[in-house]
Amino acid sequence: MSDTAERLGQKKFQFHWNANMNVLLILVVYIIIITIVQAVSITPGKFPTMISVSNLVNVLSQVSAPGIMAMGMALIMIAGGIDLSVGMLTSFVVLYAAKSFRDFGLSLPMALLTAVLFAVAFEAGMGFVISRINVEPFIITLGGMICFRGVALLVTHSQEVSMNNAMDPLKNTVIVGVKDQANLAVNVPPYIFLFLGITVVMWIVMRFSKYGRRIYAVGANRQAAYLAGINVKNVIFSTYIINGALVAVAALCLLSRVNTAIITVGQNLEIDVIASAVLGGVALSGGKGNIWGVFLGAILLGMIGNGMNMLRINAEWQYVTKGLIIIGAVSAAAIVAEVQSKRQLKAKQEASALESALNSAGEA
Amino acid sequence: MGQEILKLSGISKTFPGVKALDGIDFSLNAGEIHCICGENGAGKSTLIKIVSGAYQPDAGGEVQFEGAPVTLTPLSAMDLGIQTIYQEHTIFGPLSVTENIFVGMEIADKGFMKFAEMKRRTQEVLDFLNSSIDPDELAENLSSGEQKIIEFAKALVFERKVIILDEPTASFSMTEIDNLLGIVKKIAERGIGIIYISHHLDEVFRIADRITILRDGKLINCCDAGDITEPELVRQMVGRDASAFYNREHFPPGEIVLEVEKLTGNGVYDIDFNVRRGEILGFAGMVGSGRSELMTLLFGGAPKIKGSVKVFGKEIDIKNPQTAIRHKMAYITEDRQHTGLFLIHTIARNTIIANLLVSSGSFYAPKREERIGAEYIEKLGTKAENAEVLVGNLSGGNQQKVVLAKWFNTEGEIFIFDEPTRGIDVGAKQEIYQLMTDLLRDNKAIIMVSSDMPEVISMSDRIMVMKDGRIVGEVSGDGVTEENVLEYSIGGKKI
Repeated sequence: MSDTAERLGQKKFQFHWNANMNVLLILVVYIIIITIVQAVSITPGKFPTMISVSNLVNVLSQVSAPGIMAMGMALIMIAGGIDLSVGMLTSFVVLYAAKSFRDFGLSLPMALLTAVLFAVAFEAGMGFVISRINVEPFIITLGGMICFRGVALLVTHSQEVSMNNAMDPLKNTVIVGVKDQANLAVNVPPYIFLFLGITVVMWIVMRFSKYGRRIYAVGANRQAAYLAGINVKNVIFSTYIINGALVAVAALCLLSRVNTAIITVGQNLEIDVIASAVLGGVALSGGKGNIWGVFLGAILLGMIGNGMNMLRINAEWQYVTKGLIIIGAVSAAAIVAEVQSKRQLKAKQEASALESALNSAGEA
Repeated sequence: MGQEILKLSGISKTFPGVKALDGIDFSLNAGEIHCICGENGAGKSTLIKIVSGAYQPDAGGEVQFEGAPVTLTPLSAMDLGIQTIYQEHTIFGPLSVTENIFVGMEIADKGFMKFAEMKRRTQEVLDFLNSSIDPDELAENLSSGEQKIIEFAKALVFERKVIILDEPTASFSMTEIDNLLGIVKKIAERGIGIIYISHHLDEVFRIADRITILRDGKLINCCDAGDITEPELVRQMVGRDASAFYNREHFPPGEIVLEVEKLTGNGVYDIDFNVRRGEILGFAGMVGSGRSELMTLLFGGAPKIKGSVKVFGKEIDIKNPQTAIRHKMAYITEDRQHTGLFLIHTIARNTIIANLLVSSGSFYAPKREERIGAEYIEKLGTKAENAEVLVGNLSGGNQQKVVLAKWFNTEGEIFIFDEPTRGIDVGAKQEIYQLMTDLLRDNKAIIMVSSDMPEVISMSDRIMVMKDGRIVGEVSGDGVTEENVLEYSIGGKKI
């Protein structure tokens, strides 16, 4: 199939471009370090749980919700925007879904569907203002974040709401009784597949569709994109709408996991989501980044916390380390890019010097 | 006439690939108004940037200030008393007139500002200039003519010795111009030397004591204003070496593909013209005459106020670039880095981006993108390793070829080139000209805006000359000469 040929070409291109290699490298090195430390000093003689199948699957299920949100965030950021409201929007979706199912008398499908529609509508509202009135998305979504928090608390009168395990099918493991090397049960919640599926769809959109290319173009140079016949406003608008749907889906995955909806579910989640996207190579300035990078970024972020849990490092130090790794990874990527562009610039200058020398020789 | 304040001898300035100034001598006396004349690109701006210290001249030249050799930097020029008043205002709107004059140079005593003293000195200068501006008025409430006066006042308050005026009357009304010229003369009477640059030759003849004429970075003439006539001045401003011209193949013009009538909007008024297949319609005029604004309007980048545009005989309302592209128009903008290219993306991606609109389907395989990118590298002779090179890493000429590739790939029929060879070295220039000629051979139509006189003369079949947002003249056939174009664009010739 020609698809296969394309994918082969794609692999070659990715390797050449080398953008995801940084994250992958950091991820692998981190896992190796934790595994060694664990095997040597924490639980000597036992199989290191860090690299056990159950743990790796566990990390994947932990990062599913922020990972799905990171896909939406990547879309917005590649188009040159940002969305600070996703955390509080998550809290709203979770609280609204639980409340409407339990107290407003909506059926479960209706509760979930309306929750998604609300999220899309809210994001569309922000996206409309951002794309038409040309206000900084930072400010608009900051306002959105504060608003959503208020709306979420209003809906539930600031109380927490239990789902009474109605959403368990989304989190109950699809395989039962499988044990791994460390003799731990492997739990595979269905929403992992949702995460993987969304990642693949997003990858196809961003890499193979015209729409994806328009998003990159708008983020890289809005004016040039406009003059190249791209409807810049609608492209920006659409990224927020898609993000709304993705945030809602992620929020419902979270709800199935926690079972009880409280305002803190989404608190500070936007930080992790933006961090995942940035770790994955998405530039705040827009036009750059790719979906597999973001996928790896989300996993790396989840792995950092998980690994330190394995080493029984306390939460305070975990924050410090997490922050430092983000700073280090992004700075390293910037340095690599800087060095590369300097090298290319030098080559360009030499080439143009040669060119003009040849030209003047030709004239003489 | 006072004694000599400023003397430049043997000044040259070389930029990569261009000699902007070549052994220029220039002098300025106290109380003298010395005008510098020349076409776009003659070297006027470079010369005043050397006087204001913004550029350092090449080794070999000498600058003397009041008889002593000096090295001019922006700071030392200021210290010596040289002030440049630029075309754009450098006014702080929310500050008062007095505060604007003294900003950064406040009169203070032990850290406390002496407002009364500053206001007194401002009033003194304003009185001298016969101006009724209130020193306490906020600058943003003043007209642009009054804002210019504030800048003069500033120069007077600090007793500058040399004032450089770069196109001071751009966008001024007739009375404002009269007023300003009067002020300039008054200032000169105080013994201040004035360097005056203007495209408006009537202004030049009204105030100049001496006139220096530059062409292609060389000094052509320096004489007293009384010793030269306007036609003679124009003749000296134009007239280049034959080597500066490009000899292209001409084709018999075909059917009319674009017809514009009474088009108004985006700062241009009542524009009428048409373009045929196989011809280049040039747009000449001074910088700021509205040519680029017209092209942006034509391409749907700005709202139209009135008028009609017919493409292939059918009237269409071009609301946005999408409509224009769908009707086979292509727009190579003036500023390729800001409005033409995606510098952080690959050549291939830049090549296909405008094609997304006109090709069918919702998907576009990366393989196909790469193949088309490579195809156009080959076709246009772009110097790049492969189509995956980032456009930001290419030289100016090759970047321009990527812009062309983007538009060739939309299969346009009507090409708008705005300054097609700006910032491009000589060799690449010829290649761009060749590519334009190839388009004509393929029966396409070209509209070209250019401030490069040899370019517009040698490439165009017909030339529309614009001034102040209007078309003021059309030249064609044997009438396509530098003299004719220049006379229209500076308003010497009336239609």
